[in-house]
Amino acid sequence: MTVVSTASGLLAMLQEQHPVLKLHALTNLNVLVDNFWPEISTNISAIESLYEDEQFHERQLAALVASKVFYHLGELNDSLIYALGAGPLFDVSEDSEYVQTLVAKCVDEYISLSVKASETESESMPLDPRLVAIVERMLDKCMQDGKFQQAVGIALECRRLDKLEEAIIRSENAPAMLSYCLRISQTFVNRREFRHEVLRLLVKSYQNLQQPDYLSICQCLMFLDDPSTVANILDKLLKGDKNDTLLAYQVAFDLFENEYQKFLLNVRDRLPEPAVAGALNPEVGGFANGVVGAHNENGISAMTDGGPMAMDTSEELATLSTPAGGSGDTASASERLPERSPYADRLSKLKAILSGETPISLTLQFLYSHNRSDLAILKTIKHSVEMRNSVGHSATIYSNALMHAGTTVDTFLRENLDWLSRATNWAKFSATAGLGVIHRGHLQQGRSLMAPYLPQNGGLGGGSPYSEGGALYALGLIHANHGEGIKQFLLESLRNTSNDVIQHGACLGLGLAALGTADEEIYEDIKNVLYTDNAVAGEAAGISIGLLMVGTASEKAHEMLTYAHDTQHEKIIRGLALGIALVVYGREEEADTLIEQMTRDQDPILRYGGMYAIAMAYQGTANNSAIRRLLHFAVSDVSDDVRRTAVLALGFVLCSEPEQTPRIVSLLSESYNAHVRYGAAMAVGISCAGSGSSEAISLLEPLTSDAVDFVRQGALIAMAMVMLQTTEAREVRVGSFRRQLEKIINDKHEETMSKMGAILAQGILDAGGRNVAIMLQSRTGHDRVTAVVGMAVFSQFWYWYPLIYFISLSFVPTAFIGLNEDLRMPKFDFTSEAKPSMFGYPPSVAPPTTASAVKLPTAVLSTSVRAKARGARKDLESRSGKSIVQEATATLPSNNQSIPDGPNSNAEILVDDESTATARDENAMDVEGVVDSKKSTSAEPLFEVLSNPARVVPAQEKYIKFNENSRYAPLKLKRAPSGFVMLRDLEPSEPVELVSTDSPASAAAGNTGPSPNAPASTVVVEDNEPPPPEPFEYMPTE
Amino acid sequence: MEEKLHDIRQTFQKFKAAYATNSFDTCSNLLSQLKVKLTELPGLPPLFKPSPTAVQELLLARDIFEHAVVLSVKMEDQDAFERHFLQLKSYYTDTRGLISPSEQEYPILGLNLLRLLVQNRIAEFHTELELLPPEAHENPCIKHAVELEQSFMEGAYNRVLSARQAVPHETYVYFMDLLAKTVRDEIAGCSEKAYDSLSVADAKKILMFSSDRELQGYVIEDHPNWEIRGSSVYFQKVKDLAPCKEIPSLQLINQTLGYARELERIV
Repeated sequence: MTVVSTASGLLAMLQEQHPVLKLHALTNLNVLVDNFWPEISTNISAIESLYEDEQFHERQLAALVASKVFYHLGELNDSLIYALGAGPLFDVSEDSEYVQTLVAKCVDEYISLSVKASETESESMPLDPRLVAIVERMLDKCMQDGKFQQAVGIALECRRLDKLEEAIIRSENAPAMLSYCLRISQTFVNRREFRHEVLRLLVKSYQNLQQPDYLSICQCLMFLDDPSTVANILDKLLKGDKNDTLLAYQVAFDLFENEYQKFLLNVRDRLPEPAVAGALNPEVGGFANGVVGAHNENGISAMTDGGPMAMDTSEELATLSTPAGGSGDTASASERLPERSPYADRLSKLKAILSGETPISLTLQFLYSHNRSDLAILKTIKHSVEMRNSVGHSATIYSNALMHAGTTVDTFLRENLDWLSRATNWAKFSATAGLGVIHRGHLQQGRSLMAPYLPQNGGLGGGSPYSEGGALYALGLIHANHGEGIKQFLLESLRNTSNDVIQHGACLGLGLAALGTADEEIYEDIKNVLYTDNAVAGEAAGISIGLLMVGTASEKAHEMLTYAHDTQHEKIIRGLALGIALVVYGREEEADTLIEQMTRDQDPILRYGGMYAIAMAYQGTANNSAIRRLLHFAVSDVSDDVRRTAVLALGFVLCSEPEQTPRIVSLLSESYNAHVRYGAAMAVGISCAGSGSSEAISLLEPLTSDAVDFVRQGALIAMAMVMLQTTEAREVRVGSFRRQLEKIINDKHEETMSKMGAILAQGILDAGGRNVAIMLQSRTGHDRVTAVVGMAVFSQFWYWYPLIYFISLSFVPTAFIGLNEDLRMPKFDFTSEAKPSMFGYPPSVAPPTTASAVKLPTAVLSTSVRAKARGARKDLESRSGKSIVQEATATLPSNNQSIPDGPNSNAEILVDDESTATARDENAMDVEGVVDSKKSTSAEPLFEVLSNPARVVPAQEKYIKFNENSRYAPLKLKRAPSGFVMLRDLEPSEPVELVSTDSPASAAAGNTGPSPNAPASTVVVEDNEPPPPEPFEYMPTE
Repeated sequence: MEEKLHDIRQTFQKFKAAYATNSFDTCSNLLSQLKVKLTELPGLPPLFKPSPTAVQELLLARDIFEHAVVLSVKMEDQDAFERHFLQLKSYYTDTRGLISPSEQEYPILGLNLLRLLVQNRIAEFHTELELLPPEAHENPCIKHAVELEQSFMEGAYNRVLSARQAVPHETYVYFMDLLAKTVRDEIAGCSEKAYDSLSVADAKKILMFSSDRELQGYVIEDHPNWEIRGSSVYFQKVKDLAPCKEIPSLQLINQTLGYARELERIV
């Protein structure tokens, strides 16, 4: 085949007079341009002049040739201009590199132009219609080919809502498209206003569907902060049939999961009042009555009946001097039991969900009954920590608090009162505050629990200010983000004191309880504390204002900044800096002015605050400019603190894309600067928390044996966060990490800092009775304000240890809680199609022998374990008879719980036979031995049957299957099987079987006198606690 | 296809007839028609579509373009010459093996070389030369051009001018005339640099003019900055030429020698 060796002939032909010759030349050049562009490029001006020649009727062809030449020359901009000139000749569907490159360039150009146009808000530069035409042709082509996801993506980036809508409507599977759209609009649309527009469009499209997806609509509306529409939808659903009601509850639970307190309260307030005005109390009582009447001392009832009262009659509650009054009131209310319409009933239930009482109490109950924390670990820690080492001592207390966060199990404290009383001053403060973490969510009885330590009305009580301050802080932790009932009390406590320690506690407590409410009254009071210019109180006040104003971006931030410049105290400046950062939470670009101001400040502490401000404003957005700024500061700032924080802040910005973080900070983790290494470790810990990501672990592993003690501390804590709820079966390094922790704790020569890190890491690793995970984003992709804020303040523990407790805000129980329409848990089984060991609890540690702790006991060992246990028991018995019973009752729930989860059904029978508490304890040991020995001999089953409520860790969700012939089915199949799931009853005529539950130890009844110096002694010991009721059949009254 | 070919052949016959009678206007009209018609033949470059008539098409098209090239020389149109030559060239370079070489090939290539020489495009001249096979250099037409170029480069302008008498082909005369003009320009450029002024007689001799009028006309047309006063031609040197920065030659030499010595010592 003969080919031409040069295009010069054709180029010469271009110079000919006759237009036909020119056309002939151009047509041939268009074909040959890919081979002869170097030759043609020298004559490009001839082609260009042809294009500009108005007389020439094939100008577009000339443009196309010119465009191709420029493309080959790498001049994409010129190429694009000529391609646009080529009009229809430029075929977007052509499958060549040239067309693909240019179309990409075209779309990029269009995106940048339209983004610029929309951001400057001026129509100064109208877009080139030809450019728009090409993009639209491209979009149409996408849609014709059925590539709707691409079309949605381009439309979103181009800010073309009309095209977006078209893509959604034209796709066959509109609901799937909508959910895709929702997801990407949250992850990829950086600009808030536009995101809101998209969401508004989505809501509109959702509503146009045949079956509106109310779950998603309400999610969108929450992002849009539109409580009244949500309230309308919920109201409409409540008036519908049973399924609609269930749906309304499910919507409410899902909204609750996002922890947007202000929004939830707004929705609640916009719902109509139940029919009879002033009948709320009886209603609540009536609702409670149904439960209380059915089973005595049931956890739900105990919690829910008081909860709404606490909400709606907060003033009343605040004036009540004894908690007994509350329960008395409930009791009297329950006696009345008026008849009321099902609608009002549903409405009050819905409100209970929205205000958080129902979910919180269910969670509390779950955490209590499923608590699997291992006291042996704590004992080991306690023994290995030196007596006089106060850091180790308080670290143990912190660790205990985290391990039992939300479980209400304070056995360890009660058993070690003498040891505990060694805590003095601020250690006492945090020891008391630790109770708040343990009892987190115990809304109703929180105050009575803490009563002994609280400052007495009428001036200074006999107690130490440290425990009083700690108690106020604890109250805040208990009521974090749901503090309607307690904030008045905290406010009064703050006003009544002039002691800086108590002020400190009260400020933190208030901030937590009134998180994000922007309450002016509280603000004024805290500001007064701030202006006393006391370092201790001022620091807490600064943080507290931040907590109060989370995400409001109010003018207060400037006030705070001004004061930060005025004051001399570093502590106050630091508190304020963090506070300001919290104020701009999630505001993205809006916060840029403030961030700029802070990051350019002379004072390194304010620059440090600036880093936090970037972290908070851009949390979870993975915004490139934020990342760039942080990286810049991480390597260029003169202050170590700022650099450390800058790296740490990366963790927050990237928390929506945890897989990115290890890659981005990997270089920083090898920095010569120890502070930067620490920051890198924490960043990975924060963003990859609970992921068990092997990259993250590989990055952290070398840092856990770093030369610098505080780097080791950070790495250990971060590692614990990453490995949270990861089993050895999924990641082998979990086991070795646990051993490493143990070694560090026992090592006499280890430095205090890293030892403290190891102790805390133990606490985090087994946090919340091994039933919680750290989640900075909810399942629907919304950021969980409380969790992020908690994590941010926690990361501040570098300066102030008591702030460690803030991490408990980011704990989420990993539970599947199925509820029927009465919001109670029916008996319901489902399957997890994975080996039990994949997601199970870690094996418990053999009590005194720490050496063999992690190994599975063999059949022979099981007897020796029992023997050892007996030995240990005898020792205890000799100390005091009473404490045994205590321990037995305390450990009972956890043992009891282990059985349904275990693979062996024999175990259940064994336990059922037991009668006394002491015998139970011993036999429970036995059971474990049997279970363990069986495990070692028989093959592990490939699936596991879980019963409601069950522990379902996030990674396990995809293995969950619901039995088809089961009586109950989840309302929404597509929803992730975790959290609160409303169940549809397929056989409504059958009697309902409810799950019998263990309730958290109730301290309300017999609270004895205060003894502030020994915190745990006041926790009520219920010697004669009746055994939990046998399973029974509940007959509904209606 | 056959009809088209036939049609073209007929037009070409007419063209040849007009060509023979040197009626250039008819020629260029016909040529234009021919070229348009040629675009319809698929066997021609750059498509080279194989077909039974491809060889005929190629031969015919080559013939047409060869005539077109010669015609443009006759019409003394250098641009047209270049256009036609470039289109023709493809028939020479890319069709080897398809059609037998043309007799006109070397004369036309030689013409082209000459044109490049006339236009003082020496680089392209050499590129073209490199593309030729070695045996082509023996061809009198090519040889003529090569020799001219050598003389031109040496500055042996008299040899260039005398070569006009020994042209290998009658079409070369046109370019040889043009070459004389090129040579004159070169000489003029040199004299301008070399002298402040020259007597009219000398100038006439150097620039190869036979009469004063011719010289005067040349000066007015091509070198308006020259001046003829009395019996002398004054070259207006560009006085305000920035003085060349003096090269520190001595220093450089010393340095270089120093390096050389050092280098020797190191090795």
